[in-house]
Amino acid sequence: MQSTLIKPALATYTALFLLFLYAPFVVLAILSFQTGPEGGPQFPIIEWSTYWYRHLLGLVPPSRIAPLPIDESLLRSLGLAFMTMVVSTVLGVASAQAFRTRFAGSGIVFYLIVLGMMVPGVLVGLGMSLVANALGIDRHWWSTAFVLHVVYTFPFAFLVMLAIFNRFDESVEEASWSLGVPPGRTFRKVTFPLIFPGVLSAMLFAFTLSYDEFSRTLFASGRDLTLPLAIYGTFSVEIHPNVFAFGVLTTLFSFALLAVYAALMTLSIRRAKRVALQEEAA
Amino acid sequence: MTMTALSDGLAEARIEQPKPQRTTLWLVLPGVLWMTLFLVLPMLMMVYVSFWTQTTFAITPVLTTKSWVNFFSSDTYLTALWTTIRIWLTVLAATLLVGYPTALFVGLFVRNKTLQTVLLVLCVIPFWTSFLIRVLAWRPMLGKEGAINLVLQGLHLTSAPIEALLFSELSVVIGMTQIYCVFMVGPIAFMLGRIDPNVLEAARDLGAGFGRIFRTIILPLSMPGVVVGAIFVSVMVLGEFATSAALSGRKVNLLGNIIVTQVGSLKWAFAAVVGVVLTVIMGVVVAALLRVVDLRKEL
Repeated sequence: MQSTLIKPALATYTALFLLFLYAPFVVLAILSFQTGPEGGPQFPIIEWSTYWYRHLLGLVPPSRIAPLPIDESLLRSLGLAFMTMVVSTVLGVASAQAFRTRFAGSGIVFYLIVLGMMVPGVLVGLGMSLVANALGIDRHWWSTAFVLHVVYTFPFAFLVMLAIFNRFDESVEEASWSLGVPPGRTFRKVTFPLIFPGVLSAMLFAFTLSYDEFSRTLFASGRDLTLPLAIYGTFSVEIHPNVFAFGVLTTLFSFALLAVYAALMTLSIRRAKRVALQEEAA
Repeated sequence: MTMTALSDGLAEARIEQPKPQRTTLWLVLPGVLWMTLFLVLPMLMMVYVSFWTQTTFAITPVLTTKSWVNFFSSDTYLTALWTTIRIWLTVLAATLLVGYPTALFVGLFVRNKTLQTVLLVLCVIPFWTSFLIRVLAWRPMLGKEGAINLVLQGLHLTSAPIEALLFSELSVVIGMTQIYCVFMVGPIAFMLGRIDPNVLEAARDLGAGFGRIFRTIILPLSMPGVVVGAIFVSVMVLGEFATSAALSGRKVNLLGNIIVTQVGSLKWAFAAVVGVVLTVIMGVVVAALLRVVDLRKEL
């Protein structure tokens, strides 16, 4: 193909594409350093300041702009994400383990699980609140919203674990069984350490998806706000650069999470390598 | 060798993995129960409630089709239905047009695996920001005094700010395209990456130009990726309400927005009707897309 011309053209296009992906966020980050409280969410920057970051943390004298309700909602979001992470990872590992043997109805079960990540939050959220209404249950972030978060993140954990088990060498388990180690102990001592990197990825997926999730929460969480709901609340009113500052902070938080994940991953891979080396030496 | 044979023989007697069917059942049961109770049941409940009787502030389980008649005879709802379909089709086309060239470059032209991974990771990084923040980030971009208008005026391309950029259908389409186009790029790049370079080489040696190679080889082979991307984008766009709430200034009402407003005013039965309509549209769209390409055969 006339790649002499087409390749540079496509490369330029890809660069523009990345600009399209990143530009809004860069603009948002710049505007978060607008002066306050009189500076608005637009150019030009009147004066560079960290006012809106301090505003977010409650370090500035009260002004007409109400602070974002982040302290309590942050705790709720983290709690919810943690609960969701634990439950959906356990469910994901268990179901993926079950899929290692063919069983009747596995096709239907597969689609049933994957459906959870496909059905939009508006629909399950609405359905769940209808069920809660009919049963006379109060909606809370730790009950109705929590079960929906798991419905959403469990399929991701399941698919990650399925991919891990696909590349899994079964002979090590068989060796363990044939030495008389019971299945439960084999799983703890042999299988689990081997699939641990996958479990970490599943946990990361579940945590971040739940931490960000809002359409399911909007319908199913009742009165108490989670972090995304607090941001959604600003949509209808005039926005101020404090929301931008908050956006920068959550993004930094996500990257910190990613860094922790990367560190844990490197550690577990290094440990696996060391074990392999010891085995070779022995 | 004899050792393994021996231990195999021993294992036959002692191997503690009997009743695999029962273990499997216990492993898969919690997940299935969870999905049935908290996904299938709510969806069925939505269908059921759409036939309940709606009074001003409550619903009673007396079956009626009144809410359905209401939906299909109301201009507001039908307009929302049409807006949803129009925006969905526009965004679908836009994500495909915007995403395909990038996928082509990443999947086919970059043969260096490291560079390929770097480019894909660059596409995914924005997902580490909250979805709502990414939507809000378009406000300072598109506004009357926003970045785009500043740049356009700075370059003397326009003399007055373009006001139609924000709080219009256009802003919703731009926002959604940016947020969802990566879901198009990923699957297409994946399919393109699997094309055997020898096939392209052979076509080139036989004298085919890039246009011909693209039409007869690249495009058909990338179709499964396009279909998977289209399914992702369709399901997400059809279930959207936040982008239009943030960027249209309440001018664009999607079916999702209607559900949110109806629930806000406790019109549960109407909300359920809209929910069922949305579910049906999604089902039809996904089924139609799956007919285009048999994914199980292709992947």
